[in-house]
Amino acid sequence: MYIDEFAVAAGGGAQVADADVLVIDDEQFMCEGCRQTLEAEGFRATVAPNGQRGLEIVQRVRPKVVLVDLKMPGMTGMDVIAKISEIDPSIVSIVITGYGSVASAVDTMKLGASDFLTKPFEPDRLVESVRRGVKISETRRAAAPAPAVAPTPEAEPEAPDQPAVLLDGLETLGQYYALGLNRSDFLAELRRLESEAKYHAETLGQIKAKERRVLDLVRDLRRVDEVIARHDYHKDALLQILLDVQEELNWLPRHALRWIARRLNVPLARIYTIAHFYEALSLEPRGRHVVEVCLGTACHVRGAPELLRRVSGVLGIQAGQTDPQQFFTLRTVHCMGCCALAPAMKVDGQYFSNPSVKQLQAMADAYRPEREPACQG
Amino acid sequence: MPRLNSSHDLAALREALTAARAPNRVCVTLCSGTGCLAYKSHDVFAAFQQEVAARGLDHDVELRRTGCYGFCERGPVMVVLPRGICYLGATAADVSEIVEETLVKGKVVERLTYEDPDTHERIAAFDEIPFYKYQMRLLLKANAQVDPTRIDDYIAIGGYAALAKALTGMTPEQVLDEVTRADLRGRGGGGFATGRKWATTRDAPGEPKYVVVNADEGDPGAYMDRSLLEGNPHSVLEGLILGAYAIGAREGYVYVRQEYPLAVENVGRAIEAASDYGLLGENILGSGFDFTVHVRRGAGAFVSGESSALMASIEGRVGEPHPKYIHTSVQGLWGKPTCLNNVETWANVPHIVRRGADWYAGIGTQRSKGTKIFSLVGKVNNTGLVEVPMGLSLRRIVYDIGGGVPGGKKLKAVQTGGPSGGVIPEELLDLPVDFDKLSEAGSMMGSGGLIVMDEDTCMVDTARYYVDFLAHESCGKCVPCREGLRQMLKILDRITGGEGREGDVELLEELSEFMRVASLCALGKTAPNPVLSTIRHFRDEYDAHIRERRCPAGVCKELIAYTIDPDVCIGCGTCAKNCPADAIAPTADEKGSPYAIDQGRCVKCGNCLTVCPPKVRAVAKRPVIDVLENA
Repeated sequence: MYIDEFAVAAGGGAQVADADVLVIDDEQFMCEGCRQTLEAEGFRATVAPNGQRGLEIVQRVRPKVVLVDLKMPGMTGMDVIAKISEIDPSIVSIVITGYGSVASAVDTMKLGASDFLTKPFEPDRLVESVRRGVKISETRRAAAPAPAVAPTPEAEPEAPDQPAVLLDGLETLGQYYALGLNRSDFLAELRRLESEAKYHAETLGQIKAKERRVLDLVRDLRRVDEVIARHDYHKDALLQILLDVQEELNWLPRHALRWIARRLNVPLARIYTIAHFYEALSLEPRGRHVVEVCLGTACHVRGAPELLRRVSGVLGIQAGQTDPQQFFTLRTVHCMGCCALAPAMKVDGQYFSNPSVKQLQAMADAYRPEREPACQG
Repeated sequence: MPRLNSSHDLAALREALTAARAPNRVCVTLCSGTGCLAYKSHDVFAAFQQEVAARGLDHDVELRRTGCYGFCERGPVMVVLPRGICYLGATAADVSEIVEETLVKGKVVERLTYEDPDTHERIAAFDEIPFYKYQMRLLLKANAQVDPTRIDDYIAIGGYAALAKALTGMTPEQVLDEVTRADLRGRGGGGFATGRKWATTRDAPGEPKYVVVNADEGDPGAYMDRSLLEGNPHSVLEGLILGAYAIGAREGYVYVRQEYPLAVENVGRAIEAASDYGLLGENILGSGFDFTVHVRRGAGAFVSGESSALMASIEGRVGEPHPKYIHTSVQGLWGKPTCLNNVETWANVPHIVRRGADWYAGIGTQRSKGTKIFSLVGKVNNTGLVEVPMGLSLRRIVYDIGGGVPGGKKLKAVQTGGPSGGVIPEELLDLPVDFDKLSEAGSMMGSGGLIVMDEDTCMVDTARYYVDFLAHESCGKCVPCREGLRQMLKILDRITGGEGREGDVELLEELSEFMRVASLCALGKTAPNPVLSTIRHFRDEYDAHIRERRCPAGVCKELIAYTIDPDVCIGCGTCAKNCPADAIAPTADEKGSPYAIDQGRCVKCGNCLTVCPPKVRAVAKRPVIDVLENA
């Protein structure tokens, strides 16, 4: 119901005809808030509840700046921005985005958006951003009034982290220069833009790294959740859950254990007691390949200690250790139940009987990834 | 899959299955137990499928992947039925020859058959091979007949018939009575009377009651439980359901070590299949009896095989033992009466119910009935799983079935009972193997590990090995076990390190007594057994270590030294190349001058001895004391 009313209110505004700023957002409060803020600063603003309406207004009115929400029902902000730069490249698009979709905001900047605002934002930030947008749009229109101006979008596809602000800014500067701006103004503007760009690049990098970490964490916890659900949230199945989680994540990281504690409502200390007690559970990251040497009696009398020494020599790690590159973890097991292979060892579930140093070397080479970077991040 | 609603349905299904199988149809069975998988039995099977399909023999030949055949040393084991031709150690490359010769022409491929190590005679018939000939394979026989992933195979050979018999014609009391009269004793180690255990749980107050399969086979050197669960999980399940019926339990658990992934997988699959047929779940075979089973994995803790610890582990707690003022049969899982039996014990039950207690009691000795599976491992020619009637002598097991000690070496002792057992010296080899005779000799039946040790095995080192193992596996909850084992290890380290003192042996005995009396659970109580039995039978070896600083078997590194005889050495330098410690160098600059070992740098790995050309044999292992005296 509210959408309909909203649509009428937005579409039927008297000031639509000569607006220089258009706000496209499916949230009425957002639209109204922006409009009021901008009008208080002297802009003529209008709003649209969705992409289609927005584009109609763009066609008709040609505003200088369009604020577009990324997530909307129907046409997405992405599509809208792409369309806008087709219709009139001099229009400056600014993306409004919710927290957490910074990465997609960066994508839209590649499509031609000039700036982005992360919700919630301060009115000052909005005004500043729009003001700059209007300035850029005016310069563009002054420099190239014909619609056949070379579009900016596909500049620099290789550098996703480089914010489009810098590129846009430089181009704008070139246009100022063409217009005969004085040199000191020009340099001052250049410096300002440069530092702003650097700031954006750094912040973006940090945000992206953090986002990656958060996403990894979320992915881990989702998998932990699936395991817990498989066991019907039974506290009694704690040991089974830990075994399954370890199978998923290859070890038991702290965040997973905390999550299990919360989900099952058991004290974290209890989970740690269990994880410490059982040999099979690992509280440290394990290598991609787990090498297990059997120290059962049958293996012992047939030379298991020698085999362990050989394996440890070839891998360069002692029992219980993981190599720095995290390729291999060497463990000892008290009987794997394949005494006929004695002395036996196992790599990732595959059994071997008394391999020689040469065979071990070949195995290690086969399991080691070829051109993997020595260390990550 | 149709649900079986009565024992008639089951019988009808069995008939249909047998009818579908032509008795004379050629069937190639290939072992797919863990041992044989390591010998690439999967590849061999795939090659068979290809070859048989390529020759259009699909309709004439059946291929079946079975459970463990037991002769793991010579894997993969393959038997061509109905003639029973046994091929050992075949590879994928041999497959086309086998198909051509045996399946098409009906001839035997001699080179793949069993060869007697002494007479070099070839034996093709499966049951004529000495390893199988002297066995009595009551439980293991079915392993070789069924594909563990297919319940139909088990039903076809008479599986679940005992269950049908019990549910339709016997009361729970009659089932219990049958097991009691059969005098079945627990196969997990202690040899407690199974019937009495069941009766205790049955009569204990409290509902619900639970039944549990103990498949936390932690004894190093024993793997019969693994083989049964991997190779024929339905036999264990059937026994469990029968037990539950007799005891009045509605829920059961199978506790398996996670080190046995294939067993976990096969048991899970078996439970699903049995549930689909209605052999598990509600109203089994229309009898009104309900029973469900869950699988729980252990996580690598030896002590969790102890009953109270195992139950704590199933409950998701730390698998530590608790004082058993009240036995777990009365207060076990979640404080309810719980009957815990070993895998092999459960697997015996269907046989007893089906063929009767009197038949069963006819096998074995006076006080130990039935058969026992041993894992015959260590320094023996035919390593593998053997099942023999109770009372067979160790000598027959080791020599007739096991084919004796490899390399013509002399047998020194046989270790039974794992870390809770002890060693039995060569003199006592004619001992008939049963629960009581082994205990009298200072060892125990244990779960059935039978580790053969030859003259190259040091008994003090063996004792040290077990104490080290137990010190590692002790949960540390009670002081006698935790500290007792640490002190014992310290003393044994001292002795094997050449620092033994007069009186150390007596100190070990004193500690043993203390641990035996004061420890909380069986792990601590039986922990001194390996030490005490080696002292009892091999006191001279302890004395040699302590008084003469010699290790008669040449195992304890601190007591041996490697030397090169300068008169024999041809100066080839092979030993120096293979020395990991750079301890070997030529004595002079000229070519061909003899090499010598720097004793200070030698790590005693023995590489030089192994690589010295057999024609030369200049390297010798000698007591370090002699080397030092000569120096």
